[in-house]
Amino acid sequence: MKYELVAGFETHIELSTKTKIFCGCTTQFGGEPNTHCCPVCIGLPGTLPKLNREVVRYAIKAGLAVHGEIAEIAKMDRKNYCYPDLAKAYQISQLYAPLIIGGYVELSNGRKIRLHHIHIEEDAGKLIHKHGDTYVDYNRGGVPLIEIVSEPDIRSIDEAKEYVERLQQVMRYIGVSDCKMQEGSMRCDVNISVRPEGSEKLGTRTEIKNMNSINNIAKAMEYEFERQTDLIESGGKVVQETLRYDDASGTTSSMRSKEDAHDYRYFRDPDLVTINISREEVEEIRASLPELPAEKFKRYTEELGIPEKDAQLLTKYRKISEFFDEACEGVKSAKSVSNFIIGQIFRRTETEADKEQFDVAVKPKQLNELVKLLDSGKIRNNLAKSTLEKMLDSGKGALDFISEADMGGVDDNALLELCKAAVESNPKAVEDFKNGKEKALKALVGNVMKNSRGKADAVAAEAKIKELIG
Amino acid sequence: MGTISKIHEMLTTKQCSCTELTKSYLEQIEKSNPELNAYVNVTGDEALKAAEAVDKKLAAGEEIGMLEGVPMTLKDNLSTKGIETTCCSKILTGYKPIYNATVWELLQAQNAVMLGKTNMDEFAMGSSSETSYFGGAANPFNTKHCAGGSSGGVASAVGANIAAYGLGSDTGGSIRQPASFCGIVGLKPTYGAVSRYGLIAYGSSLDQIGPITKSVEDAAIVFDAISKQDERDSTSKGSSEETYSKLDNDIKGLKIGIAREYLDGVRDDVKEAVLEAAEVYKSLGAEIVYFDLPALKYALPVYYIIACAEASSNLGRYDGIRYGYKTAHYNGTHDMICRTRSEGFGEEVKRRILLGTYVLSAGYYDAYYKKAQDLRGSIIRSFNDAFENCDVILAPTVPMTAFEMGHAVSDPIETYLTDICTVPVNIAGLPGVSIPCGFNAKGMPIGMQLIGRSFGEATILNAAYKYQQAAPDKFMDTKWGVKL
Amino acid sequence: MVTREDVENIALLSKLFVPEEELDGLTKSMQEIIDFADAINNAPADGEGFDNINNLSNVYREDEVVPSYDCKEILCNAPEQAEDHFLVRNRE
Repeated sequence: MKYELVAGFETHIELSTKTKIFCGCTTQFGGEPNTHCCPVCIGLPGTLPKLNREVVRYAIKAGLAVHGEIAEIAKMDRKNYCYPDLAKAYQISQLYAPLIIGGYVELSNGRKIRLHHIHIEEDAGKLIHKHGDTYVDYNRGGVPLIEIVSEPDIRSIDEAKEYVERLQQVMRYIGVSDCKMQEGSMRCDVNISVRPEGSEKLGTRTEIKNMNSINNIAKAMEYEFERQTDLIESGGKVVQETLRYDDASGTTSSMRSKEDAHDYRYFRDPDLVTINISREEVEEIRASLPELPAEKFKRYTEELGIPEKDAQLLTKYRKISEFFDEACEGVKSAKSVSNFIIGQIFRRTETEADKEQFDVAVKPKQLNELVKLLDSGKIRNNLAKSTLEKMLDSGKGALDFISEADMGGVDDNALLELCKAAVESNPKAVEDFKNGKEKALKALVGNVMKNSRGKADAVAAEAKIKELIG
Repeated sequence: MGTISKIHEMLTTKQCSCTELTKSYLEQIEKSNPELNAYVNVTGDEALKAAEAVDKKLAAGEEIGMLEGVPMTLKDNLSTKGIETTCCSKILTGYKPIYNATVWELLQAQNAVMLGKTNMDEFAMGSSSETSYFGGAANPFNTKHCAGGSSGGVASAVGANIAAYGLGSDTGGSIRQPASFCGIVGLKPTYGAVSRYGLIAYGSSLDQIGPITKSVEDAAIVFDAISKQDERDSTSKGSSEETYSKLDNDIKGLKIGIAREYLDGVRDDVKEAVLEAAEVYKSLGAEIVYFDLPALKYALPVYYIIACAEASSNLGRYDGIRYGYKTAHYNGTHDMICRTRSEGFGEEVKRRILLGTYVLSAGYYDAYYKKAQDLRGSIIRSFNDAFENCDVILAPTVPMTAFEMGHAVSDPIETYLTDICTVPVNIAGLPGVSIPCGFNAKGMPIGMQLIGRSFGEATILNAAYKYQQAAPDKFMDTKWGVKL
Repeated sequence: MVTREDVENIALLSKLFVPEEELDGLTKSMQEIIDFADAINNAPADGEGFDNINNLSNVYREDEVVPSYDCKEILCNAPEQAEDHFLVRNRE
């Protein structure tokens, strides 16, 4: 029997506000242990939380970016569990009235992964285990998080990967998080079950906790899918449990011991008041959102005629798309701009991190000028390409490398003369062409281009030469 | 009587220096505290240092405020930087906060002279101060009797003139009940009038800090000083009006309501004293109206469910990792935490944590916690309705007078019942002031409370002051402490 | 009905040890308190519920950094510490 994978995600994303959710300590990553702490975030008796306004705004932004509905009334709850990284023995979170309801993330195959809700909460501190002892650092304790809870709508590992990438992309676009999985600012819990293909009923799920790379998510899901399928095929039953993925062995194992009874006893946090969100504020925040990657993709492919594959590359990071948009202003061929970026500038930004930064020597305005010269027929593609390389090396503008003479163009008479000269001085090539060697024609055109210092129209030259040789 | 105004007058007229005054309080503490057990930590050096600063100001001819140089005390659940703050629990022994409670910051800014920290029921859970890790506080009227609780230490100290005033906290009556037992004044402010920042939480939605004083004027002075909106407490609003300047307003035509339910099950001597006080009010021109408040029937269970639920969460943090007591022998983190908590908390605290955990746990949340919250809403609205027809509600503070030491610990439910008259005010977040209104046959003080509308402290203190003026004999001093 | 198992379970959630010999007594005492609390079971609520005492909403902090405490102060009350961390030894 064939089995289908069913998965839902709980994604924790650290918000990049300046300060923690309930106190004024910095949220900066790293820092010496226990130096980003105060009485509030280490939960000293008698301290009280005070909600950071920006956390609410960031969460609303995130909610709008994934088409969620912003609640009019939201409340903070306490989630009680005792663990050394949780200074108050409860996490301030939201259960009964979360900030954002619903929403979805659309994948490239057109499927929409529905979201159940998004809530805000505080992060826990960090535990370091050494020789069986536990060292506790509360720097991360109280850093604001949003938790995005999806419906079990994911049907394959590829969809899972894309879902995470899409979230990463959109959250970075709107600037609410850097979503660095390696630094823990984005972490996923995956709920996974299997069922016979065609079945509507959900199988028993397991939850793989705290995954911090897309690779591991894929590997863990693959392992868990196999494990559950094998289990069912051999007549066994999946047990609902929480699992940890071990990267080294590539396997999952149960996390809970009998010491961790889990009943979180959620109740309204009496130390915090109601969050009332006016529709005006929501609209204000909506208006402040940048054009989102999905919208850009649509515009690039449908209005600018950019191929889908290229549009995906251009929209992957906000800085690239903004570069592209600026370089496109007033040009006839957005496709040329795209080609220059993907063909040449990308060679200078090799890593993903470089692409995300997109800090290149050429400014969008300079590329814009170059493409406009090309548009107007003042220069030819080859010259433009070589000029862009020089611009990338130096940071100078196109006009620093292209002279007035270069921009003269080559009129029909001059072109005829150049072609004649090429035919006369290359009898061997002419002979080869006549004998059916198509390639020989290229050599003749090359000669024309060289002698025109790249200004001649290569296509026109080819036609002329063919005419001359007959 | 060692009231704030009296001390202020003595200091400004140079009848004594602040240092001399402080020393005499410290001497009296040394003399009487072994019997009273009011203080659990005396901070003489800090007190004398604060007194010296006041003397310098006086010597320089500078003016001083009403609270400057007045020797006072704080309940041991108020966070004091560098000074041990234990909540009278073994689990917080040795804990020295690194920050100050907002109320202490406000008083320090006025050069208050803190003599030390006072005794209380462990984590404010109790009605006699006997659940204290350091043993109970005695009643200055008769040391065989308890001072009440949970702010028993403050009441004992103020009643015995070894502090001019003190700050306590009131979750279900913990200011008013000991004030009533010790024959003095205790004000539980409106929820949100005084910042809770730095008050070690018991039931966060019920807790309020307030003054315990010898007179109504003193309660007004201290309340005015501490009722400020605080950036650090989201639930704090501060008080909108000054109360001290309104104490002597005429109360002719004031409608004083008596809810019949408040008199049910109250001992005769207490009931008589309260009804006699109503007569005094009539003679002052107030109108007495009787009414029913049936929602009160559920106040006590609602209170215990909410308070214990919040407490079970608030007290989860005592795990032996960041501060306080840690068990000596264990095997693994879970074992360490369980042992630390089992050894560090007393029986009553453990009982309330378990009850709170129970009412919040899966399957019981709706029947208990959620239901209690709904009833809380109903009780609030019943009070609102009552205040449509009266300005102040008059009620006994406690159905009885101070019980003998050892009596309260025997039966938890019976002890819970003593809170019947005080908890409704906490549930509804209203202000209530307890003032003395008589004595029983054995000479133990009886208290009554005046309950006001939300943020109506000025009205109840005004009414309380008028009674104090009309019946000064009810405000009787004890043999103890500093005689001024 | 409060059972021994209930008490064991809530004790575990509360991170409290209840010695075997105290379990029956505690179960009984819990039952008494719960019976007392059960008074609310049939109480008529007016159905309007409860939000927070003064119906406050939107009390916020601005997102401005306040200097953190010195690590030494943060750790000064810790029963055990090492290398600027709170330390929980596995056994003692």
